[in-house]
Amino acid sequence: MKPLNFFAFLLFVVGLVWVFTLSEKSVRKIQQLYYSSISPLISKGGQTEAFANEFLEEVENSEDLEKRLEMAISERDRFNLIAARVRELEAENNELRSALDFKKRTRFDVVAARVVRKQPQMWGKTIEIDRGTDDGFEAEPKAPLCVLAPNGGLVGRLQLSGQEVSSILLITDEVSQVSARIEGTNEVGLVVGRQTTYGESPRLRLRYLSKTAILRKGMTVYTDGRGRLFPAKIPIGTIEDFEIGPVYGEAEISPAVDFTKLNHVFVITDSPGD
Amino acid sequence: MLPYSISLTGLLLLSCLIQLFIPPISSWYDARILLLPLILLCGSVTVSTGIMLFLAFLGGFLWDAQQIFIIIEGDPLVYHSSPDSLKFGYSIILYTLMGFLMQGIRPLFREGNWYVSAALTGVALFLYLFVDYLLRQFVVGGFAFDDEMLRQIVTTSLLTMFFSPVIFWTLFRIADLCGHTIQYER
Repeated sequence: MKPLNFFAFLLFVVGLVWVFTLSEKSVRKIQQLYYSSISPLISKGGQTEAFANEFLEEVENSEDLEKRLEMAISERDRFNLIAARVRELEAENNELRSALDFKKRTRFDVVAARVVRKQPQMWGKTIEIDRGTDDGFEAEPKAPLCVLAPNGGLVGRLQLSGQEVSSILLITDEVSQVSARIEGTNEVGLVVGRQTTYGESPRLRLRYLSKTAILRKGMTVYTDGRGRLFPAKIPIGTIEDFEIGPVYGEAEISPAVDFTKLNHVFVITDSPGD
Repeated sequence: MLPYSISLTGLLLLSCLIQLFIPPISSWYDARILLLPLILLCGSVTVSTGIMLFLAFLGGFLWDAQQIFIIIEGDPLVYHSSPDSLKFGYSIILYTLMGFLMQGIRPLFREGNWYVSAALTGVALFLYLFVDYLLRQFVVGGFAFDDEMLRQIVTTSLLTMFFSPVIFWTLFRIADLCGHTIQYER
């Protein structure tokens, strides 16, 4: 080995030891610094993503249009396209209206936000929203801010904040944990995300239930407000299945939020939990 | 050598920003072009082991700054089992292993067979993504792997690999500008 390479290897090992002995607080600071540095570009990256998706949809639609033109119904197609656009606008209008209604009827102080990027990471389940420290979010909060969908369901928690954007960790991610309670029972447990493969619907697991729990499919699971992370009584999902393990019972949960259609969210700005 | 190494480091940093503008392709199993690992792999074959180690360290550090979640934990009485996640910095080790893999065929690359290295980037990326996924599964204690997941990994590796000639071309141009000879030197 050349002396220079040996020296580089030694430096590399020292660097590696330094990285692996970093405290969680230091890592969070590094991540916050990194996120703040790249945040001005994230919303522009989101625009590129939206443009690319629209382009791909356009390509798929244009093949369809070609077939229709061959059938000499171009005029009807034009009206169909207009109608589709109107329906799209109508759906968007309804979505915004329901978002506005949610803001009026919710018991929390919330800030509405638009989802600018979905699934920015290869494996982790996160989204990015167009609100950040400029909108009053703390760069290093003591407790993470809780994020809701327009239907009131739990989306996740604020993970990192840049100037104009923030990263949200979804409850479907494996590192997410939510203290939960099942409606009409005294059963409490922790809802954790579950790894799903491509195309599979997101799933959640409710762990640490008692083995004697009497649960039915369709029962609603809510946050229970304990643990200083999430406020109480926010719907998380409904029970799909219940299994009794050697020590605890575990339930499969279908989320209350359709994460594929999530375009707007609400960040609770008042203090969470008990 | 030094101006080329600095330029390569700059390119690696730039790739972090460009990566933000590369969306996943939903109709292709959410495949994406992983620019940072690609530049690292292509760059590894053009530099000495010492510089490769530096690039792997920097690349892995930046990658984990984006990908690893350090979550704020709640009351330990309620959240009694803290979620398991991979340690910050594990990507440095994976990138170093990939870098050594690329350096293994450096003699071939120096003889002008850059296309062998280009093909190897695909293999290295596949191995990286596969091992990364398995590690994550191992840590959380579950295992979900099917054909769809395999397709996602393969498509991402292939898609990224197809851009390796562009990266090699860029590296050759940078080397020319820096007066550095990548190939044919013994």
